[in-house]
Amino acid sequence: SALAGRTSKPLINVEQKASCDEYLALIYISIEAVTEGICSATTPFLLLGDVLDCLPLDQCDKIFSFVEENVSTWKSSTFYSAGKNYLLRMCNDLLRRLSKSQNTVFCGRIQLFLARLFPLSEKSGLNLQSQFNLENITVFNKNEQESTLGQKHTEEKEDGMEVEEGEMGEEEVPATCSIPIDYNLYRKFWTLQDYFRNPLQCYEKFSWMTFLKYSDETLAVFKSFKLDDMQASKRKLEELRTSAGEHVYFAKFLTSEKLMDLQLSDSNFRRHILLQYLILFQYLKGQVKFKSSNCILNDDQTAWIEETTKLVHQLLKEIPPEGEKFSAMVEHILNTEENWNGWKNEGCPSFVKERWVVDDKPKRPVRKRQAPEDFLGKGPDRKLFMGNDELTRLWNLHADNMEACKSDDREFMPSLDEFFAEAIEQADPTNMVEDEYKVVRNSNYGWRALRLLSRRSPHFFQPTNQKFKSLADYLDSMVSKLAKELPKDIPSEEIKTGEEDDDDNGDNLLKESNDSTFQKPDSKMVSNQQMDDVAAKLGAKWKTLAGQLEMKASELREIETDSEDVDMQAKLLLVAWQDREGTQATVENLVSALNAASFTQIADNLNDIDTELGPVP
Amino acid sequence: MARCVETASPILMHHLLHMSVFSQSFSPCGKFLAAGNNYGEIALFSLSAALGPDANELSQKPILTFTAHEGPVFSLLSTDSHLLSAGNGEISAWSWAELIKKCLCALPPSLRSSLEIPEINAMALNPADNSLAVGGGDNNVHIMDLENGAFKSVLQGHTDYIHCLSVRERASEVLSGGEDGAVRIWDTRTSQCVHCVEVYKYETCARPQHGKWISCLTTDSDWMLCGGGPSLSLWHLRSMSPTSVFPLSGCQRQATFYQDMILTVGEGQCVSHCLMGGEVKAQIPCTPHSINTLAINTNSTEHRVLTVGGSSDHIDVFTNLSYKAFSLRF
Repeated sequence: SALAGRTSKPLINVEQKASCDEYLALIYISIEAVTEGICSATTPFLLLGDVLDCLPLDQCDKIFSFVEENVSTWKSSTFYSAGKNYLLRMCNDLLRRLSKSQNTVFCGRIQLFLARLFPLSEKSGLNLQSQFNLENITVFNKNEQESTLGQKHTEEKEDGMEVEEGEMGEEEVPATCSIPIDYNLYRKFWTLQDYFRNPLQCYEKFSWMTFLKYSDETLAVFKSFKLDDMQASKRKLEELRTSAGEHVYFAKFLTSEKLMDLQLSDSNFRRHILLQYLILFQYLKGQVKFKSSNCILNDDQTAWIEETTKLVHQLLKEIPPEGEKFSAMVEHILNTEENWNGWKNEGCPSFVKERWVVDDKPKRPVRKRQAPEDFLGKGPDRKLFMGNDELTRLWNLHADNMEACKSDDREFMPSLDEFFAEAIEQADPTNMVEDEYKVVRNSNYGWRALRLLSRRSPHFFQPTNQKFKSLADYLDSMVSKLAKELPKDIPSEEIKTGEEDDDDNGDNLLKESNDSTFQKPDSKMVSNQQMDDVAAKLGAKWKTLAGQLEMKASELREIETDSEDVDMQAKLLLVAWQDREGTQATVENLVSALNAASFTQIADNLNDIDTELGPVP
Repeated sequence: MARCVETASPILMHHLLHMSVFSQSFSPCGKFLAAGNNYGEIALFSLSAALGPDANELSQKPILTFTAHEGPVFSLLSTDSHLLSAGNGEISAWSWAELIKKCLCALPPSLRSSLEIPEINAMALNPADNSLAVGGGDNNVHIMDLENGAFKSVLQGHTDYIHCLSVRERASEVLSGGEDGAVRIWDTRTSQCVHCVEVYKYETCARPQHGKWISCLTTDSDWMLCGGGPSLSLWHLRSMSPTSVFPLSGCQRQATFYQDMILTVGEGQCVSHCLMGGEVKAQIPCTPHSINTLAINTNSTEHRVLTVGGSSDHIDVFTNLSYKAFSLRF
């Protein structure tokens, strides 16, 4: 086959200096081959890896373009699982070879490719352990002799940078500075970077004190030194740039002491530092799964962080241009970060929603939790438990609401003679009550009178030819009619004069049913003595009763572990029942439970004992 | 503000608590600062030590302290070789070289002149004719020839004691401001008062609630800054009219032109940065609650700092005008 022919020759012939195109062609063939099923899915990746390992960087660029273009291929099901690890390793190897500052674009392309290839939740791309880049050390001048301006940086140097350093290095004799330098601030300021590099230091007491002190001083300088002259600082920055040749962006801070003044007057620089503070505070305060348990802030620290956060935001607002907007934006971004933090804490679950599998028949709804019988009033005493003693009592006063509403003591309508007594008296001319003071003139009274008449008096419905000018006149006539009838009982549809019925109903409603002396003997609380008796009789059969008393399995288990003695267990059962029932732990209820559990003899005994003892006060 | 407890006695702490710094002067080489206080002491600080990278607490203390006068040292001035100090009617000249060598044990001042006047509040150097203008409590300005130490002339005209002096080199004029509220411009050659401006009479500047005295005066050839009871104001000398008035609440005691700004201090715990147009650009907080003296070390680029002293034993040093870097302490 074509492939076999190819592979007999060495793939890379250094002397021939095979071109990239040939390699790419070969790799392309291998992809086809995989699709055809001729070779294993890992073949193209192995080839790619080898090729990239052997080529110099400028040619790797071309190969990588090929990789980029075929990202959809790599993502397809045939290739993805086989190749993703190879691709990852390959990209990482490339990144290691490249310089971030010199080959920025290429590095970016590789990162973008990886971002396209892998889903968001790909673990290799996430800093799952929330580790910090501890190697990001900020170098600054701790001794007079080592001015950083002449020093090599730890990163690879590039042309632009060398030119800049060379220029400045030649201008100045390192020994003396031409401007006065605040070494105190300089050192404290750059020491802070170490805390941003490794925030866990903040949890150590001594380090924290240092951090606090230096931060307070630095922020005091920011506060005192307000930036308002944008033109001046812009001008200075331009000078700095032009002296350095073309403008190159450095990811790390320049820490020469001579630059301190310029940096302090620069808005962007300040924003960097203040933002670092906010990020640090968010970490210290936040819930991060991988923080060890001793990484918590005490109250003083929390208070200082709150205060300083406010100060930092205030300072941000004061930095021109558009400080307010910047501050608001930063706050918003940090809030969003909380979501990402939460996502990380959950182990970075995938964002991909699984496709809904459409069923032919609708899914059966989850079986509803069976309401406990007691709630439905199906228990032995047919009681409804409302979850609260008082509610339970009220609810169980009468099983049927409609019936309860019809009870006699809910009769609030007055009788005719009660209501009209005053009006009748006023109508009597001997009393000489002036018209305007008559109660029938009161519109409120009049309205109520009409209602009452419609319910109780047949006169209301008798047709009449009389024309009444006002309600008061009508009422006058009615009153006079009633006055004539008053001594006799007025026949009415609704009238109820059964006052003797009120007492019983009133008692039931107003008084606690348990406290009333009219209580039936059965409805009083079970006494200790009674419980002991019942328990003794139940013995080992207490579990049967437990079912009727609606005890939970867990409670039963508890009882079993609490005591070995069956009598004691029975007693415990009853005690538990009593505790739960509270005021409803009545003899009546216990009797019904016993009967339901077929302990009829015990139930009868209970009743007997009861009557023997007599009514309990 | 806490000192080492071992070395400070209660008397010393009391002494420090009530100290006020009234005057300052930089050495000709720019490496040293002399400061005079209300106890008549002059302290010498080494700026190179205090500004060095290895500076510590000790570097911020004087290398030398001595009692120069019986009364407060209201004025200090440096010539090329000598430090002139003035207090209660006597002017002393100390050799900078000797001071720096710190051999002051038995040395009287090189020169001492006495005037029969209650106090000397201000001194100004006129390099043109090597003369010293001295403003005193006797309401007069005395001109002393530095060659021989003799007093050449007396400028009379003020009706109350003199607070401040300034020399306008180009025109060979001396400006004086006094308690009487007048700023007088004197021609040194004729010893006559050329102009007299009563600042408190100008509505834009006047602040009757404070008073009329002029405690602060400085010139920059064409311009003059004056203030005190009245608001600090910028005057154009040719037209003798106020061009800007600065909205500073306290009474200003010293002002100076620096680059394109005006720096001023007085009542109030800050150094105010103002622009020629009358705007107060910034107010930088300092240690003393009330500031008497402000000085910029123009004698050295390495040690070009701003120092302020006032109602405290601390002298604040600014390496960057916009924030206080550290303090020197008596």
